[in-house]
Amino acid sequence: MLEISGIRKTFNPGTVNEVRALQGVELTLDPGSFVIVLGMNGSGKSTLLNAVAGSFFVDAGTLRLAGHDVTRWPEHRRARLIGRVFQNPFSGTAPTMSIAENFALAARRGQARGLGWALTPDLMSPLRERIASLRMGLEHRLDNAIGSLSGGQRQALTLLMATWLKPELLLLDEHTAALDPKSADQVIALSDEVIQRDKLTTLMVTHSMQQAVSLGDRIIMMHRGRVLHDLRGAEKQRLRCEDLIDRFDEIRRREQLDESAATMLDALYV
Amino acid sequence: MTLLLGALTIGLILSLLAMGVLVSFRIFAMPDITTDGSITLGASIAAILLVNGVNPVLATLAGAVGGALAGALTGLIHTKFKINALLSGILVMTALYSVNLHVMGRSNIPLMQARTVVSAGEAFGETLFGAKMLNVLGWSVAASDASVLLLSLGFAITAGTAMYLFFRTNVGTAMRATGDNPQMIRALGANVEGYLILGLALSNGMVALAGALLAQYQGFADAQMGIGMIVWGLASVIIGEALTGTRSLGLTIAGAIMGSVLFRLLVAIALRWGLNPNDLKLITAVFVFAALVLPSFLGKLKRRPSAA
Repeated sequence: MLEISGIRKTFNPGTVNEVRALQGVELTLDPGSFVIVLGMNGSGKSTLLNAVAGSFFVDAGTLRLAGHDVTRWPEHRRARLIGRVFQNPFSGTAPTMSIAENFALAARRGQARGLGWALTPDLMSPLRERIASLRMGLEHRLDNAIGSLSGGQRQALTLLMATWLKPELLLLDEHTAALDPKSADQVIALSDEVIQRDKLTTLMVTHSMQQAVSLGDRIIMMHRGRVLHDLRGAEKQRLRCEDLIDRFDEIRRREQLDESAATMLDALYV
Repeated sequence: MTLLLGALTIGLILSLLAMGVLVSFRIFAMPDITTDGSITLGASIAAILLVNGVNPVLATLAGAVGGALAGALTGLIHTKFKINALLSGILVMTALYSVNLHVMGRSNIPLMQARTVVSAGEAFGETLFGAKMLNVLGWSVAASDASVLLLSLGFAITAGTAMYLFFRTNVGTAMRATGDNPQMIRALGANVEGYLILGLALSNGMVALAGALLAQYQGFADAQMGIGMIVWGLASVIIGEALTGTRSLGLTIAGAIMGSVLFRLLVAIALRWGLNPNDLKLITAVFVFAALVLPSFLGKLKRRPSAA
């Protein structure tokens, strides 16, 4: 479904702010797989998702999605294949526009937008039904500006919008990180439900070990712009939070070792 | 009475300008100074075609198309060459000054003799009413003036309705979202740059239409007529928002039309009371400044006592 081979990205190359965010990522996702992406800050998780979504072009490597080579496709063209929920609840919806209008936009994701009416009965009745199933009482507020809703409600709606047309790939970028624990649980439950029901191929970045353990069928851990661990199948199912924390500690120790080695070499030779 | 009719007519004609500015300033949050050049471009193109005997409706539409092209150019410069939005507008506006002089061949074209949309409207009105003078609520009014007022009211309502309907379509909804949250609409597959170019073309097309009609109403096109027009448009939009609020799209558009008329009436009254016409642009600028600054300033004043 998604084939990432050897992608590299360096931000601000040749300056003091140079960041080698992705250094040869290799990753292949089977259709219908639900992959959790873990890693410390700066490990390249979000950069990986942005590279797949097309927020920037990669410096090297190729991206194939659903049989297309999308490496040089601009972001808005890839949107035909990709549904996306951002970390910031404000990013995924147009605040001054109504709930219904936001969904009208999502209902034409990646398609030509002509001079037909945006809000049609064909859209409104399934929309009312689907939003009622959230049990947030929003089905009576379809004409309200979406900016008047809480962050949790907005993330739930953004998730529905991203999956309104079944995407070939769903990207969830720490989409519950900015929510209170209760809203986060709701949004996670909804995400899992939608992903299972539609068998969506999903890449989900998270910092929550608990989410990583309980969700998905595969975990990748990123470190310094590469995939460090790739756990799937029975190994993933057996995984507990403590195992993940151990692996993070291991990364941290290696990091410290690197640093002390660098200091030692520095003292000896410079 | 003639003065009042004149103010209302100009206010309605310039409501097209206000609606154009509404698109660039409120939807894309971009003060698009191309407006100053495109209103003159619309007037210039219409004027040169009219004195050469082209059908007035075609000449007016040609003016609008010219403005739309100018707007698209500003959008292209801004999106493709990553030049600051304001500077893109300034570049195009400056270039248009020369373009307008070339289009007209001189700095001013009188239209007194030409057959225009306005003169056709006047003639039609006189035959329709069957008299040179009308009695409206006890006032004696020239039938020609009344028919031009109705004509411009028709233009304003048609343009406002068309704009409202457009922004309810799939393309129009996506265009509004482009200004509201570009990241979101890009993730939903819309080419944000393309929508901005289209939006500025639409905006400046409306502005140039206003210019073409204004030239025909006042009886001349002039290379200087665009100076400060963006600020006039902003003033109308701001007054309109004070009148109707911004809760719904329809109200905002209706507000821009009403704001334009009200602003023009206020100007007419101030001039009647002896305001020096040279001070008009200064006062307009100060007004827009105050309207932009006052809401947050008043908000601060309100918050202070509760914080203490």
